[in-house]
Parts: sequence; structure tokens; C-alpha cells
Amino acid sequence: MNTRERSDAALLEQNILLKKLDRTLLITVAMIILLGLLFIYSATKPSELLTATEAVSSGDNLFASVKKQLIMVMLGTGMMIMMLFMQYEDLLKHVKFLYVLNLIMLGAVLIVGDSAMGAQRWIAIGPNQFFRFQPSEFSKLLIIICFAAFLNSRSNKLSRLRDLLPCFAYIGVPVLLVLKQPDLGTALVYVAIMIGMLFVAGARPWLLTGIIGGGIGTVSLWIWAHFWLAANRGFELWIPLQEYQLKRLIIFLDPWKEPLGAGYNVIQSQIAIGQGGFWGRGLFNGSQTHGDFLPIQETDFIFSVVGEELGFIGGSFLLILFFIVIYRCILIAINARDRFGSLLAAGIMSMLTVHVLINVGMNIGIMPITGIPLPMFSYGGSSMITNLTALGLLLNINMRRKKILF
Amino acid sequence: MERNLIERRMHIYLYIVVIIFLILVIRLAYMQLLQNDRFSTLARENRMRLIEITAPRGEVFDRNGNILVGNQPVYTVSLANLGRKDMDGVVQRLAAILGMEPQEIQQKIDQQERLYEPVKLATRVPEEIVVRIEEQRLELPGVGIDTEPLREYPNGNMLAHVMGYVREINREQLAENKDKGYKSGDPFGQSGLEYTYEQYLRGQDGGRQVEVDSMARPVRDLGVVDPVPGNNIVLTIDHKVQKAAEEALARASQEAIKQGYGEARAGAAVAIDVRTGAVLAMASYPAYDPIKLSGVLSQKEYDEIFNSPWKPMLNRALLSYAPGSTFKMIVAMAGLETAATTPQTAISDPGYLIWNNHRYNDWKLNGHGQVDMVKALKVSCDTYFYQLGLKVGIDNIARIAREFGLGEKTGIELPGEDSGVVPGPSSKLQLRKPYLNSGELRKVEEIEQRYEDLMNKTNSDEEKKQLLDKKAKDLLAVNWELAWHDYDTIITSIGQGDSRYTVLGMANYVAAIANGGTLYKPYLVQKVIDPSGRVIEENQPIVARHTSVSPETLAVVREGMREVVLPPDGTAYGFFSGFPPVAAKTGTAEVFGHDNHAHFVAFAPYEHPEIAVAVVVEFAGHGGAMAGPVAESMLAAYFGLTDLSVTHKSTPE
Repeated sequence: MNTRERSDAALLEQNILLKKLDRTLLITVAMIILLGLLFIYSATKPSELLTATEAVSSGDNLFASVKKQLIMVMLGTGMMIMMLFMQYEDLLKHVKFLYVLNLIMLGAVLIVGDSAMGAQRWIAIGPNQFFRFQPSEFSKLLIIICFAAFLNSRSNKLSRLRDLLPCFAYIGVPVLLVLKQPDLGTALVYVAIMIGMLFVAGARPWLLTGIIGGGIGTVSLWIWAHFWLAANRGFELWIPLQEYQLKRLIIFLDPWKEPLGAGYNVIQSQIAIGQGGFWGRGLFNGSQTHGDFLPIQETDFIFSVVGEELGFIGGSFLLILFFIVIYRCILIAINARDRFGSLLAAGIMSMLTVHVLINVGMNIGIMPITGIPLPMFSYGGSSMITNLTALGLLLNINMRRKKILF
Repeated sequence: MERNLIERRMHIYLYIVVIIFLILVIRLAYMQLLQNDRFSTLARENRMRLIEITAPRGEVFDRNGNILVGNQPVYTVSLANLGRKDMDGVVQRLAAILGMEPQEIQQKIDQQERLYEPVKLATRVPEEIVVRIEEQRLELPGVGIDTEPLREYPNGNMLAHVMGYVREINREQLAENKDKGYKSGDPFGQSGLEYTYEQYLRGQDGGRQVEVDSMARPVRDLGVVDPVPGNNIVLTIDHKVQKAAEEALARASQEAIKQGYGEARAGAAVAIDVRTGAVLAMASYPAYDPIKLSGVLSQKEYDEIFNSPWKPMLNRALLSYAPGSTFKMIVAMAGLETAATTPQTAISDPGYLIWNNHRYNDWKLNGHGQVDMVKALKVSCDTYFYQLGLKVGIDNIARIAREFGLGEKTGIELPGEDSGVVPGPSSKLQLRKPYLNSGELRKVEEIEQRYEDLMNKTNSDEEKKQLLDKKAKDLLAVNWELAWHDYDTIITSIGQGDSRYTVLGMANYVAAIANGGTLYKPYLVQKVIDPSGRVIEENQPIVARHTSVSPETLAVVREGMREVVLPPDGTAYGFFSGFPPVAAKTGTAEVFGHDNHAHFVAFAPYEHPEIAVAVVVEFAGHGGAMAGPVAESMLAAYFGLTDLSVTHKSTPE
């Protein structure tokens, strides 16, 4: 162990390992981040039509969001670089600590957390609460690390449903904690990460398909029965969700039912994207964006800005960038030096995939609204730092791969 | 093996990811390439707003160019639903400021289907309320303040009945006029000329196309279509005469009440240019305030206008009244035209007429002595006209009355004109029918049917006359009141009984006497002028009829009317001193169970008549005393005389 560590450090010093950095991945991520900054600027730019006084007061903050995001990108890059200088296998030694740390963080949110939009998700730190830190984001990476270690030790014990139960319990605890916030989206991401990693770890495909199908089926049936009984029998079937959450969850099926209520965001986002057409309305030129028709556009609905201003061309280009990142994850998982590395890469890949699917999906009206950011693109520090740290981990795994890629 | 498993699984993963991305890209393509038009339209609806620029309604002037009805910019407050969660709060706050019910505002908002489209909530908003809204602007997203030209009445209630009032178009009117481009909230003439000339007076709204943000704040001007004001209208009304008439009616009512005629709360007066039929004044008392009717009415204001026993909404100039002695000129003309009498033929009036064992009193119980036609008109001798009426017969009286336009609508440009009633056998039958019992009614209908068939079979006038006589006898057999009797002719001869004529009709009939027998169609609108000053419609005098009455006959009647205002015993002696020579006739119509209606008709100058007037003051007693001063004020205004502080002497008729 020691000798290899030393030799790695030596190699690093000789820039040998650094030469094995996945440049395609780095460049792609850099492009995503830069585009993200551009669109955060577009989404937060005050519209020209404000009255003089309003324009003056917001003029100071013209670049405020972009600046803040830039600081987060720098912090995240620092984390990424730090990740490069460690042996990722060393994480195995700290798994118990990391798992407990994760639970403490999630628990702390429930006790001292700030709330926004009906959910407690933030812990404020620093002067003027400059850094509002969102543990559930960091927690995603911690769960990937912990679960990779968990699965690492049970390589051939995943063929039966009974073998999966400990896995469910292991992930179930943090899932329950985030559900308590309540943060349905993050819980969904945890479950997706778990299933993705189980699949790579060797669980039976049909078993997993069954679990996924059964899960989606059960939840859909439950929700359907809840509404059907309420409408036809006047009976309140218990459901672990608030009525507003439930509404937000299913409104994407028919947003025009409440064009001014729950369906508002979905409709405005779709109008923005739909009117973008092939070429878009031009950067900083979206009427939906700059007429403030869409709230929180720099975070959850930033994809609609891309769709409106750069059209189908811009939207698909961004999707291709994400596809490249995920594709690199897959290659890194395949070529990792050991099973732990593969599992880590697969976990990160699952996380990215489910984020892109849910976020873009809700922007274009085929996924429920769950408040999931677009990785490395949406405004938000915790998410950015988490994703860049994960990227560092990926690069680390890639540098230490067994054989040369390609 | 372990390595192979991971590789295989990651390959499957790759497929899944590819499928996911394909779904996203396909959906994106569907929205942006196939549904682009639909979403572009929705986006346009989101951000494009046509801000209406209300066109001013046409203005109305009198014949001398004095403004009668104009426009004035007023504040309006509107609210757009921005789809915000605090909409209820905005509605509550705005309701408190405007003094409206929140539900009322919510209702109007809910009616507006399109998002962001502002709905007008209040017009004529006072400045202090506008200031309060401005102060709370930030708590009132979606609230808009605009100005809009709305009706202004520089003369208050004046001419209210002729002009009518303007109010937001109601649902039925909207449905009826949809093809003319009305939309809800548009002003619409509800009565009077505002109603009749709606299509001329209404302007064409303009608009400002703007791009707005989600708070409905305008961002960019995209173009302006200027509003086109409505056409201006010049009336035949003479502002001075109108004003004099309205003020005099009010004074007459007060005076009558002072003298104990408690019901004398209403009246009407009309002045006509005898040379053209142009209406110089048309007043109805009491009047209403048209500005109150233009907006939201409180229950109290509503009751004051619509549930008042004095019915201020009625245009009494178009309402028909029993004419009393002002009808006597018709009987006189019928007498001369049928040669039943001559101007010189005199009777001796004992103060009554005994006919069929019934005594018909003159208003002067000891009689007027020797009375010829001129004197009969001058002193309004009832006995003379009882006798003359009987001699002439109801058919001839009715014929002359009809020739002078009585009993029919004049066709003036106003809605709601009464046609009136010229009494006769058939009108009597129709008027009595509602009071018959069912057995009698059945018989009457059977008789009517039978004689109608018989009349259709014959062509000979002789036979027809016989049939009518027989029919009258049959009706008489059913009920005495169904047939025409001499009694009816007698009271018709002094303008009582079933006679009902409008004040406008009476003025017009007097005008025809004055001008030598030409009946004009009275009119109010002289010309319509478009905003650029071009005359687009000009009304010329229209002759409704040249009466068959000879100039000589008319001269006798005019002489009689002239004598009315002369001493010693003219019934309106004492009025019009210092005036160009005036001719007139008083009338006092009995109203069953009430005080008499006071009537007065006049024309002047006697030799070359220009103006004819007719006045009624309801339940005010004597025609000369109560209605005379109104006519006097009107004529004084017309001739530019300083108004009369003359002591009014007149004899009770």
C-alpha cells in the first residue's frame, strides 16, 4: 500500500498521472459551466422595461448571481483538484465516518435548516449567511462513496431479493431523512443512484426491472387511488405527501388544468422552449425569460432559457455535452482499476443521468416538478461543488486506470 | 469475469442513456419544430397587449354652436390577472381603496378568460383615490390607471331626456350589436339621441400595441393606431329656449305646489319652428342626472331615479295627455270646413247645453252671452263647441285631428313616442273592451267577426254605412258603454273623454295652424359633422302633409287664438305684454280623481309666425295660470326679451 502511494505521488510529481487526465471530460465540463454562467446572466439580467428606479436598484446586482456562481465554480475546482491528489481507495477506510457524517448533515437540516419554497433544505454559514449550504447535494456524493464501498464487499451476493434488502436499508435511512425535509427529488436521486449501482454491481437485471416497475406502479396506483377515492367516494386515502406536493408531482400530466396555479411554471417553461424554434430567439432576447414570466429561471428552469434563446440547436448541443460527460463516465467505469472505482464512476454516472433526465424532462413537460438542478449548469453552489468534486473523483479513477483508454 | 460483468452492464447502461437522451431530443424537436407555431402564439399572447385608446364620443351642439354635451378625460382603474398567488390580497386591497365589494371585482376578473388582459373595474375615479393607488403601487401588481374621455354635461341635467344617457353596453345590447364591433365595457347610448344616433356618435377606438412583462408593465411600444372620435351632432335645439323651458317648468311646479296642487310635480314643454318643424326646445320635468347613470349607482341613487313616483326617466314631451280646450281649434276648423257654421254665426250661451235630458255645463256657469267662433276661442266657450261638435259629428272632428297629425307618432328621432288617441267609435270599443266581463267579451267578438265578414262582401258605400249603424246597435245591445253616443262627441269637442295627444304632437299641430296648414315632421338633429368638419348628413324640413283646411278657415282660428291673449276677457289676457304679438290657447284637462292638467299652446309672432309652443303641467289646475308662464318664458327667451316679472292675470277657464 505504502509503496504504491508513494509511487503515485512520485508519478504525480512527474506529471505522469496528470497526463492521463481525461481532457475530453474536462473540456466538456468546462463548456457546460461556461454556458451555465452565460445563461445565469441571461436569466437574472433585469429587463430593459423596468422603470428607472427599479433599474438602478437592480443595476448593482447585475452580475451578482454570476459572480457568486463563479466563486462556487472556483471552490468546486479546488475540491476537484484536491480529489486528484488522493488515493480513491483510501475512501474505503473512512466509509463509516462518511456515512455517519451524511446522516448528521441531513439530520441537522431538519433541526437548524432554513426553509425555502416549503422545504427545509439549507444550512446558512458565514457572514450574512453568504453561503447557504444544501447538505442534500453533498450527500449525494457521500452516498455514492458509501454505497460503492458497501457493494464492494458483497460482489457475489446480489442475485436474490433477500440479498438486496440490506442495500435498501443502507440507502433507506438517508432517503427517509430527505423525505422528511421534504425533498422528494433528492430521495428519487438516491434511489436512482442505488439502483444504478446495484445494476453495475451485478444484481439481476430482471429483479431490478421488477423493483423499478413495481415501485413506479405502486406509487402511480397509490396516487391514482388517492384522487379517485377522494373524487368518487369522498375518502381520504393516506399518502406520505402534502396535497401541494402531490399536485406539483402530477400537474405535468395536464398543466392547463391550473394555468395560474400549479401548472403555471410548466406552461411558461414549455412556452419559452416551444417558441424558441430551431434557431431560438437569440441570446438575451427571450421574451419569456426577460418578461419574467418564469420564476426561479436561473435554477430549476434554466434549460428553458437555453431552449428559448438558442432554440433546438442550443438545446440539443447542451444535451450532447451532457451525453459526452456521461459517456466518459461509462468509459471510466469500464476501465477503472478495481471494482470500487467502477462502482464509484457508475454511481456518479447514475446521479448525472437522473439529474439531466428529471431536470430537462420537467422543463419540457414530461417529468414531474421536483426541484432538481441541471448539474454544473443551474445556479446553486452546493450542487456545483458536489458535481465538481465528483468530477475530481472521476478524473482520479481515470488517472489510475489499468490500461490506457482508446 | 468480474471485469466482463461490469463492462457488459455498462454497455447496457450506455443503451439506456442513449434512449433517455433520444427521448429528450425527440421531445425537444417536437416542441420546437412541430409545435413552434402554437407556442409562439401562446408567447405572443403572454407578452403582447393591445392597450385600448378609447375614442371620444361625438359632441353635441345647439343650433348656435353652444356645446350641450361634451367629453372630459376621467381616470379609470383596471386590473389584470397576473397569475400570482397573492391575487386575493390585491383584490382585497383594491376593493378597499375603490370602495367596492371584493367579490364584485373577483367576478369581473373571472369573466376575463385571457391571462394578463386588464379588466376595467371603475371609471370616473376621483383623483384622491388615484393618488392612493399610486402610493400603494408595489402592493397592487396588475392594477392599471388610465384616462379615458367620458361624457361631460356642462349644463347638468339640461336636455337629459332628449339626449338620453350613455352607459356600459349590457349583455343583450352586446349580443345584438356584436357585428358592429362592440365589446364588453364599451359605452352605449341607452336612450334619447344617444341611443338613436349611437352609430354616428360612437368613435372608433384606437390602440397601442405594447410588449409587456409578467407584471403587465409595458416594455416596448410596437405601434399606435390613433382613435377616431365620433361624429359631432348639431341640434335644432336653441340653448336659451331650452333652458327657459326647463327652469319655467320647475318654477311652475313649485308655484302650483305652493297654491295647493300637491301632485303638480311634473310637466313638459315643446317649442317648434313653424317654418320647418325644427324642434327648438323639448323639456320634461323632473329630469335626471345623466352622469349618475353613466357609472355604478348606489341603491339610494337607483331608487331616486327609477323608483321615484315622479318618474324622472320619462320624457313627458312624448307622453300623451287629454288636451282639454287646446283641442277646440280642431273642432272650429271642422265646423268651418264642413260648412256646419260660419265665422259670423253666433250662438247665445246660457252657460250650459241640455242634450238628451242631460245638462252639459260651461266652465262659466252664467254663460258668455252672444258667442261667435272668434269669441268662442277667446273665452274658451264650452257651450259653443258642444253644439258645434254635435253638428259636425265625430267623424269630421277625427278627420281634421288626424290631418294635423294628432293620434299618430310624429316620427321624431327619439325612442318611446306615444301615438295618442283620436276618439271615435272603434277607439272607444277598444278602450272599453278590457273592462267587459267574459260573456260580454264573447258577444262583442262574435259581432265584430260577423260584421267584418259582411263588410268584406259588399262594395257599396251605402250598404257599408248601413252595416256600421247596425253594428253599433248590436254593440249597444251588449253594453251601453260600447257604442258611440252624442255624449262622447260633446266631451270630445272640448278635448276631454278618450282624447290623448303628446305635447310634441300638440306643438306640431299648433305650428301647422300658424304656418298656413303645412304639417312638418318635427326633427331634432340639424346635421352630423365628422371629426374633420365635413357635414355627412344634413336634415332638411320634411313636409308630412299639406292639410286640406282652407287659408280662410285657418285665419279665423288664428284670429281666435290671437284674441285669447287680449283684454278684456281672453283666457290668457295679461301674458306676453311687450312681446311681438302672440296667439295662444289655454287648456284645462280634467283627470278623474286628481287635479286638472294645465295646458297651454301658443305661436308668435301673430302675423309672421316663427315659433309654436305647447306646455303641460301635470295636476296643476288652470291651464292659463300654470302652463302659461312656461310658454311666456320660452317665447321671451326666443325673442331675446328680458324675462317677465309681469303679474300674470288670467281667468279660470
